[in-house]
Amino acid sequence: MTCKKCKTANGYMLGKGGKRKFDEHEDGLEGKIVSPSDGPSKVSYTLQRQTIFNISLMKLYNHRPLTEPSLQKTVLINNMLRRIQEELKQEGSLRPAFPASSPPADPLGSSYREAPPAFSHPAPAPCELGGAAPLEACLTPASLLEDDQDTFCTSPAAQPAAPARLAPPALPPEKDSFSSALDEIEELCPTSTSMEAAEATTDDPKGDSGGPGAQRPEGLQDGRPDDPKLMDSLPGNFEITTSTGFLTDLTLDDILFADIDTSMYDFDPCTSASGTSSKMSPVSADDLLKTLAPYSSQPVAPSQPFKMDLTELDHIMEVLVGS
Amino acid sequence: MAGAGGGGCPAGGNDLQWCFSQVKGAVDEDVAEADVISTVEFSHSGDLLATGDKGGRVVIFQREQEVPILKPMDLMVEASPRRVFANAHTYHINSISVNSDHETYLSADDLRINLWHLEITDRSFNIVDIKPANMEELTEVITAAEFHPHQCNVLVYSSSKGTIRLCDMRSSALCDRHSKFFEEPEDPSSRSFFSEIISSVSDVKFSHSGRYMMTRDYLSVKVWDLNMESRPVETHQVHEYLRSKLCSLYENDCIFDKFECCWNGSDSAIMTGSYNNFFRMFDRTTWRDVTLEASRENSKPRASLKPRRVCAGGKRKKDEVSVDSLDFSKKILHTAWHPVENIIAVAATNNLYIFQDKAN
Repeated sequence: MTCKKCKTANGYMLGKGGKRKFDEHEDGLEGKIVSPSDGPSKVSYTLQRQTIFNISLMKLYNHRPLTEPSLQKTVLINNMLRRIQEELKQEGSLRPAFPASSPPADPLGSSYREAPPAFSHPAPAPCELGGAAPLEACLTPASLLEDDQDTFCTSPAAQPAAPARLAPPALPPEKDSFSSALDEIEELCPTSTSMEAAEATTDDPKGDSGGPGAQRPEGLQDGRPDDPKLMDSLPGNFEITTSTGFLTDLTLDDILFADIDTSMYDFDPCTSASGTSSKMSPVSADDLLKTLAPYSSQPVAPSQPFKMDLTELDHIMEVLVGS
Repeated sequence: MAGAGGGGCPAGGNDLQWCFSQVKGAVDEDVAEADVISTVEFSHSGDLLATGDKGGRVVIFQREQEVPILKPMDLMVEASPRRVFANAHTYHINSISVNSDHETYLSADDLRINLWHLEITDRSFNIVDIKPANMEELTEVITAAEFHPHQCNVLVYSSSKGTIRLCDMRSSALCDRHSKFFEEPEDPSSRSFFSEIISSVSDVKFSHSGRYMMTRDYLSVKVWDLNMESRPVETHQVHEYLRSKLCSLYENDCIFDKFECCWNGSDSAIMTGSYNNFFRMFDRTTWRDVTLEASRENSKPRASLKPRRVCAGGKRKKDEVSVDSLDFSKKILHTAWHPVENIIAVAATNNLYIFQDKAN
């Protein structure tokens, strides 16, 4: 039993040379590919999740956004990150240490059944979150697939693409643009609450562990020690504690750099054609066309109808496998 | 109250022939941020049409008596504030709604709703506050609020999680407990990473009758019966073909666009905007819908608007627009429907289009 969807996509997304390898991969994943009616395959699900995760981080930590800071947007992006983090935690706790030799179906299969497509349903996970190793594994789609398929983006991520690079330099030690952007929200109308929150802010970060997390409040304090607005009531507080709590279990290195083949970024229709910069740049038809182009490409066989129900990232995967 | 809705003929959908009437605004391709129209609204009687732009200018149009043309009133080209109500909101104000008592109004931002008296400018009364003690716990914000058109003690507010709360100010001074809670259960088959974001309500509007309310989320418009909290009575898909593009739309922030919606005078039709300068009308009685476009090309006097079609996949028919060629920078966020007649105002970035039914 093979995935009809993958096969169809494979038919027009890949050149002749790549087809055979993909078939091998397909067979290897046979146990965990769900039929098209059940939704995207595990591979594309994980890939999509990783992409969205990265996009979300970049949105939050990008240098000064071109648009006005919006609390609603921040909250929604944070919720997205939290959900994905929660899901990853549960997958990490369900899975034993990821043995290279074990058949891929087992560790992924169980977590796949638990997690997707609705990541708001926590899987029953009695075991605690393991150390960094399993977490790294579940954060990186490339490593997940490494054992069963060497065609899928496994080149060592020696040089992360620029978008990934944005985050760590942005965090410590100087005040990053996100919190300053949120400061702007507060700056509209400084209220007396900002002083109360200032005290809360100084308390909170100290309780957090982790490199970037601990660094940021210090960085902020260094940046503008005397500015009461810095100890922003709600947005600043919100941003600091959320992000540090979020990053406690993992460093950004784990998330962004470990084993991610950055060629994904080149093919990722979800990033702008420029690939690296100005994620917040105004949308133009061209930009969107370029981003949409990879998965709107004409089928090899003109008679083959374009399947709009394939997720965008199925197409990324197919392009990657073919490359 | 609900008007006659255009001389008795069924409004909206395909029963009317919408024609171009006027367009206001510069033709340049380069649009300054300050010129972007941020709000459009008819006055209660329909005699005036107000528009505001991001530069803070308000332009009011008045209808000429014999000729159904709207021309800007000379006396108000740049409105200067008559009263300034300062420092009441920490976050961006998303809604202002005048009460049916014409004495009070509400203003809403992400976390709070304040009640004001029109004559008292130095203080307001806080009626809703969802700010958590620890901001780290913040997962939901207020997105829109409106007073009931007839019951001056009733208001609704929507959230970024797709919920709507109805509050009765009589039951408690601080509306921290809602009287009604409207939420549609999630459809598990369409769940995705973006489910929460696309469920965020960008606009909520009571019907003129006061019996229904309408909410706009990213992909659809929903009509709710105020007596039924469990689910909407109607759901209209605005641009379902975008569902497979949500990742891109998340990346370029379009998924956060806040579309508004409006009712026609008789509540028999609803209208909302989309991308590519398209806007959509839904006739609630015939259940027919139409997609129209606000563009300079279709702007000859009294020229009829031709229905547009978006091709979601497969072979594109002639005159259809494919999803991939949609211009996502041309978004219609604000539309208004005359309270009595079939005249509509559509804001397309920095241009204001007026359309009316041929019969008008």
